[in-house]
Amino acid sequence: MLRVDATQLLKGVLDLAVLAVLREEDGYGYDILRRLRAAGLEDVGDASVYGTLRRLFNGGLLNSYVVPSDEGPHRKYYALNEAGRAELQRSGKVWHGFASIMEDLLRERGKA
Amino acid sequence: MNLTAQDEIAVYVEGVRQALAGLPATVRDELLEDLPEHLAEVLAEGGGSLHERLGPPDAYAAELSASAGFVLGTPIEPPGDQSRIAATAARHRARIDRALRRADERVGPVLGYPRASEFLTLLRPAWWVLRGYLAAMAVAFMLHDHSSPLGLLPRAGGDDFTAVFLLTLGILGSIWLGRRGQPAARWPRRLFRFGTAFLVIFAVVGFFEVDSAAQRDSYYDQVSYTPGPGNPYSDIRDVYVYDGQGRLQVGVQLYDQNGQPIRLGEAICWDAHGNEVPIANPGYPYCPVQAPFQSAEPTAAPSGEPSGAPSGEPSTGSSTGSAGDSEKRPAPTTPPA
Repeated sequence: MLRVDATQLLKGVLDLAVLAVLREEDGYGYDILRRLRAAGLEDVGDASVYGTLRRLFNGGLLNSYVVPSDEGPHRKYYALNEAGRAELQRSGKVWHGFASIMEDLLRERGKA
Repeated sequence: MNLTAQDEIAVYVEGVRQALAGLPATVRDELLEDLPEHLAEVLAEGGGSLHERLGPPDAYAAELSASAGFVLGTPIEPPGDQSRIAATAARHRARIDRALRRADERVGPVLGYPRASEFLTLLRPAWWVLRGYLAAMAVAFMLHDHSSPLGLLPRAGGDDFTAVFLLTLGILGSIWLGRRGQPAARWPRRLFRFGTAFLVIFAVVGFFEVDSAAQRDSYYDQVSYTPGPGNPYSDIRDVYVYDGQGRLQVGVQLYDQNGQPIRLGEAICWDAHGNEVPIANPGYPYCPVQAPFQSAEPTAAPSGEPSGAPSGEPSTGSSTGSAGDSEKRPAPTTPPA
């Protein structure tokens, strides 16, 4: 199957997207999902965000804290820590490199 | 459908858990640890049931495990007995987990925290110190020769320096272990838990041991003459007082140096046939007929004597008993008045 869709592409970069969203501001699970969707990643699934958060947290890239809320459940907020920031920078570079290669490739193919 | 939000979340999480049955239990538990809270956030946003918004639990589980970096094993086709047992065990564990979590949230506010576990987490270093002390005591107890009571310090060799050294070592070691966390490998972790359980049992038994020892000590401090455990006089049933001439005294009262009456034995008297004899005199002896140096001397009590009164004949002609007996016995004499 050669079909490429956004969902498949997303799998590879969801980590990076979550880290990027958290760079701006700490957030809880659903809030992160909403911000990703608002940014244009409309196909991102709730379970993917939750699973990604668990994995990044277990990998030591995120800190978490619970904020009690008067109306509704307590919210578990996630925040980038030093390791997370470093990883975001490193992966960001990889992404930029990859993206520009793809950009060039597609442009040349277009010309040909 | 009038499921409460909590129920809806629990049902959904359970569905996801079952769909993740192919994962090792520890991985799965870790993955699902925060899911109820997360789903509560999703529900709080409104816009339909979990099922409507997130799809069926098994689809959610597949997406979750893929994004968390695990490959879901193909479901075991005909579930063998073992996996069925494991699944049942996992379900029960999940139920217990849920109950614990609920208790955690209910008890928390009473302690002034969102969750009781947050309060207990604060107590963790205190447990490490206590665990160190218990470990040192357990070691000392095993090395101890039991010729003397162990006391509250781990006196392994009987001297205080070693005790303090052992105590320091135990506490520092326990804190170090605590900071390091539970071992990750399966067998070390089992050993760790077994050790903890052993120390807890040791602590409970030791606590009661020390408590009863402390109670015994207090008996010795303020001498009590009441019969009871730890009283060296508890075997005494009656008291017989003889004067300088060997005459049995009746109606005797005993006091200690503080004027506290000394009470020994029981105010009950039986004769040789087991019939209860009314007590004639207040004070000791309760039971003059049972006087040890009289009953052994059948001829010493003339038949005319009242049974309750002390009696005895001059020793002349009455020493028909054994020679040893007459030596030990105070010389009986005629009773006063």
